[in-house]
Amino acid sequence: MLAFVQGSPEALTELFRRYQQPIYGFFRRRITDSSRAEELTQETFLALLRAADRYEPRALFRTYLYAIALKILRSYRRKAIFRAAFHGRPEMISDPAKHDATETGLWVRRAVGQLEATDREILLLREFEQLSYAEIADLLHMPVNTVRSRLFRARVALRELLKPSSTAVAAVTQAASVGGNPQMIAAKGQST
Amino acid sequence: MIAETHFAAPEEVMALLDGELSTERAASVSAHVAECAECREFVEILRNGSMTVANWTVPVLLPNGEFEKRLAEAAPQVPSRGRLPELNKWSAFLGRSWMSIAAVTAIVLAVAVTSSRRMATPTNMPVDMARTDRGGAGGGFNRLDQFARGFGPQKSATVQGEPASKVSENLPESVGQRALEENGLVSPEDRFSGTDDLQTPLIARTVTVSIMVKDFSFSRTALDAILARHHGYAASLNASTQQNAARSLQASLRIPAGELNAVIAELKSLGHVENETQAGEEVTQQHADLVARLKNSRETEQRLQAILLQRTGKISDVLAVEQEIARVRGEIEQMEAEQKTLEHRVDFASIELSLAEEYKAQIGSPSPSNATRFHNAMVAGYRSAVESVVGIMLFFAEYGPEAMIWLAFLAPLAWFLRRRWRLATSLAS
Repeated sequence: MLAFVQGSPEALTELFRRYQQPIYGFFRRRITDSSRAEELTQETFLALLRAADRYEPRALFRTYLYAIALKILRSYRRKAIFRAAFHGRPEMISDPAKHDATETGLWVRRAVGQLEATDREILLLREFEQLSYAEIADLLHMPVNTVRSRLFRARVALRELLKPSSTAVAAVTQAASVGGNPQMIAAKGQST
Repeated sequence: MIAETHFAAPEEVMALLDGELSTERAASVSAHVAECAECREFVEILRNGSMTVANWTVPVLLPNGEFEKRLAEAAPQVPSRGRLPELNKWSAFLGRSWMSIAAVTAIVLAVAVTSSRRMATPTNMPVDMARTDRGGAGGGFNRLDQFARGFGPQKSATVQGEPASKVSENLPESVGQRALEENGLVSPEDRFSGTDDLQTPLIARTVTVSIMVKDFSFSRTALDAILARHHGYAASLNASTQQNAARSLQASLRIPAGELNAVIAELKSLGHVENETQAGEEVTQQHADLVARLKNSRETEQRLQAILLQRTGKISDVLAVEQEIARVRGEIEQMEAEQKTLEHRVDFASIELSLAEEYKAQIGSPSPSNATRFHNAMVAGYRSAVESVVGIMLFFAEYGPEAMIWLAFLAPLAWFLRRRWRLATSLAS
């Protein structure tokens, strides 16, 4: 990015090639419409281009790019809700996990869709975007410890949603909620 | 306490897997996990969970060479840091202030435009106005094209602020495509096949015409001939030909969109046009959404069927997949029907025709004979008498029981009052 800011146009093309698919994946997992996801991907790079003169390497470029993508996603959702309120035509704004099943991993998508919104966002950023706790905390404006505890909660809940019959995970959840150590209880639950 | 038996909290074990612990802490937690069977099991659970989540794959985005090329072309236009002046902070501040003002203005304008659109009846909007209005709102723009016409938000704002006519000049592709189609060089099927935003606008046209004709019989025959000549049909037709009254006809006609102008011209030649309204509803976005959803659903159905064939699992899982397939199939059929209806609305314009005859009362109009009039009067009298008898019977059937109840209550009271009155009058005498 610094090379591009210094005047190398090829650097931007390289950035686009490197991050196009991850950013598309970011939108595709959060928006039902694939063409709209592609459009927002392009919009993200346009926003990157427009804000190039204000870029300061205070964090990783990846974090910076995902921050732009997250802002564009929120803006898109706001507009969709606004349009739906005015035109009375609800638009499929997000959460393909709830409404759509276009790729493999049907159960995973459904289970992820049942998570609480912030927990889901943290889980997606960690599992698919491979962001660190600090980067997620920076993106979502919350403490790192909160990110860690919410991620743990999301993973435990997801495990339970994916295998509802697993008593072990239920025990883990229960133990986590009452403050005990879930490892032992989970192991006991599995053995029974 | 169980917690005291473990060196590390479960969240720390998770952080260890994610590589989020400090070196010292990671070493100690790692050593504990190596010794503790329960913690190792917990680690395994977390790993399995991550592997399961990884099944949620996203299709690979096809390389968009056009966008990439334009991105590379536009890159040199961005001022590099070295070329920025010293007043960068001031310009940024002013820029942001102007952006805020522009945003507020845009919101106010959007609310005003939306309100005015909601107040105005869409069907009263002329076809050309509807076209240019939608075009001016950027309906036919792709972001790539916005980008290609000039980089930066200021440029696109200028384009959106231009008059509708000027904006339409900036859309040579869509206008040219429409001209080709109107000349019969592009078939309507070609319009539906495209999925990009640059396709010709799909417009469902509706025309309402009221015509006063002198010769109703001739006009009725001419209408059938017009429909046959232009391959149209009457979705509904209601003709009223009462004696000693003006004859009229209301019909809902469906005409191939390309023949609409010719048909309207021929209909106007039948008599005097009293009222005419043309409207066009653009359904491009609606159609594109429908096509995209249909495509997604078909892909979903194929993948679900592949899952059903390839994967083995519990019966409940198989049943769940089959239910999902049935649901998706239902959605596909519903969307296919919607698509056909939508395309039919675009292919066939709708004409609401109202024909009325110029009525001239005739002095020497033939009247029925006296015998016929007497017979009709007898029949009418008989029917009236029967209706009266039936009406009386119905009245007693409906109100009789209720009247009997009131009579049972009021009769003793009346008898008592009558007796007191007679007693009083006898004493007075």
